[in-house]
Amino acid sequence: MANARNSRSNRINPLAHAFVWFYALLLVIPIYFMLVSSFKENTAIFNSPFALPTSLSLDNFVNAWDWAALGTGLVNSVLVTGIAEIITLALAIPAAYAIARSGGRIGGIVEKFFGAGLLIPGFAALVPTVILAIGIHLFHTREFLYLFFPATVLPLSIILLTQFMRAIPAELEESAMIDGASRLRVLISIYIPLTVAGIATISILNFLTFWNEYLFALILAGPDPEVRTAQVALPNLVSQTNTQYGVLLAGGLLTMIPVYVVYMILNRRLEDALLQGAVKN
Amino acid sequence: MAIKSLPDVVVATPQRKSRENRVKPALLGLSLPAILWYLAFTIGPLFAIFYIALLDWPGFIAPSSFVGLKNFQTMFADPVFWQAARNSLVQLAVVLPIMLPVSFMVGYYVSLKPRGHRILRVILFTPALISLAARSIVFLSIFSPTGMLNGLLRGVGLDSLATPWLASQSTALGTVMAVDLWSGIGFTAILFSARLSSIPEEVMEAAELDGAGQWRRMWGIAYPICHDYFGVLLMLQFIWMFFASAGSILLLTNGGPGNSSTTLSFLVYNKAFRESQIGYSQAVGVILFAVGIAGMVLIRRAFRPKY
Repeated sequence: MANARNSRSNRINPLAHAFVWFYALLLVIPIYFMLVSSFKENTAIFNSPFALPTSLSLDNFVNAWDWAALGTGLVNSVLVTGIAEIITLALAIPAAYAIARSGGRIGGIVEKFFGAGLLIPGFAALVPTVILAIGIHLFHTREFLYLFFPATVLPLSIILLTQFMRAIPAELEESAMIDGASRLRVLISIYIPLTVAGIATISILNFLTFWNEYLFALILAGPDPEVRTAQVALPNLVSQTNTQYGVLLAGGLLTMIPVYVVYMILNRRLEDALLQGAVKN
Repeated sequence: MAIKSLPDVVVATPQRKSRENRVKPALLGLSLPAILWYLAFTIGPLFAIFYIALLDWPGFIAPSSFVGLKNFQTMFADPVFWQAARNSLVQLAVVLPIMLPVSFMVGYYVSLKPRGHRILRVILFTPALISLAARSIVFLSIFSPTGMLNGLLRGVGLDSLATPWLASQSTALGTVMAVDLWSGIGFTAILFSARLSSIPEEVMEAAELDGAGQWRRMWGIAYPICHDYFGVLLMLQFIWMFFASAGSILLLTNGGPGNSSTTLSFLVYNKAFRESQIGYSQAVGVILFAVGIAGMVLIRRAFRPKY
């Protein structure tokens, strides 16, 4: 195996190495710039953008936190992400179970329904969604995001989860039902424990989607500091700070921490989740 | 009770004769909440676009009136619409032909597992983790008049090249596209590498024994094997860019200066939320939707599996 790999990777054109690592460098530079600049003042950022900071002052982070009310923003983000995650699972798990086990024509139609949903870009319906929010008196509230965000990820969550559920042998279910277990009982005590990997996959994907969402969060929940999420609060720093890049970038780092914490804990699993999610589209 | 009968209303089908089929819809009742939820928050609003496009509606709290196709007439006579259409076309025509082949090549490189490929994977994943808002403020800091790039150019004596990248008519759209490429290639490359690693070793080895070089093996063997997957990722990036460029443009350039970086997607946002012409905005939305579907069908045709 190791030999085979070596033979496959040998004799790569040096230009290819140079090309790929040059692109990798382009990816790293903005991140490096963000890290070092969040400890610097504007003049230092402009005069020597890549120099290491001379001090590890946390002033920029404190200012970003205060000026953009990032504390409230992060709490709102946690609430929106958490509650939308729970609602998504509550809707997707039973639906995936039903599709996986019903077979037949109607099950196929429901699966196709959500399969087609994968191709519908959420952005298309932005304006009517606002009208819906106004209509049910939830415009500019977090509550509307709780309800709306799950709908945007239902197709992918259901299609992915259905595949995990299909892998469970039907005999398990049949014997449980002969013992008098109800559908719901079967779902809770057989299917959910056996599809934890799938549930984790869609939870990670949805966490990234919900946490990082900008445009819908901005328009539906609005700019009020009490309601807005961290992602909506962050760009406000641009006008507020009169472009003090250090503060701006420090704020950006603060909103990225939760994602990177999850990435560090679930490294491999998160990569797999992203791969599976994209391929299903 | 209601659970048993409602699925038939939603996915109307006459097939309910046998005992077998009667049990299954009961089971499908479990998927009913998800179906209704999705209809209420996605499909319903989507259909509403086509009706709203026929209204004269000057603001969300103002009364609306039916005006037929007047919004479409206004739109087709509006130079801003044509500029947005042109910008969208430029964005797609420049970014996609660079992004997909480059991603494929980088993905092929990673799939060969050369020295350092693990670090490379982590680096390539980075853009997928960063939110639109965080990414945009990083690039605002890089491309602003007193930002990193101009500082860098001045540092190496190239002052003459320094320019307000995001605030100049001639560079705004190009800079937005550069950011698109920055964030799109890495993850797409990882996806290609995952697909390419599933090609059996023997296939590539046989090609190597026949004397095919790395470049020939990449485009002559690996690419045809992944042809349909290439189409899938192309479609993914097409949808994402065509429909959702509004967020990134709102944060980076606000569509300007002038309308030099306004795309169709941004125009939908701008007309509705800045200029309070909701009917007009949704007329653009109808065009966006129709062209988007046509594009998807075309890509699907072009990359249909060949067997």
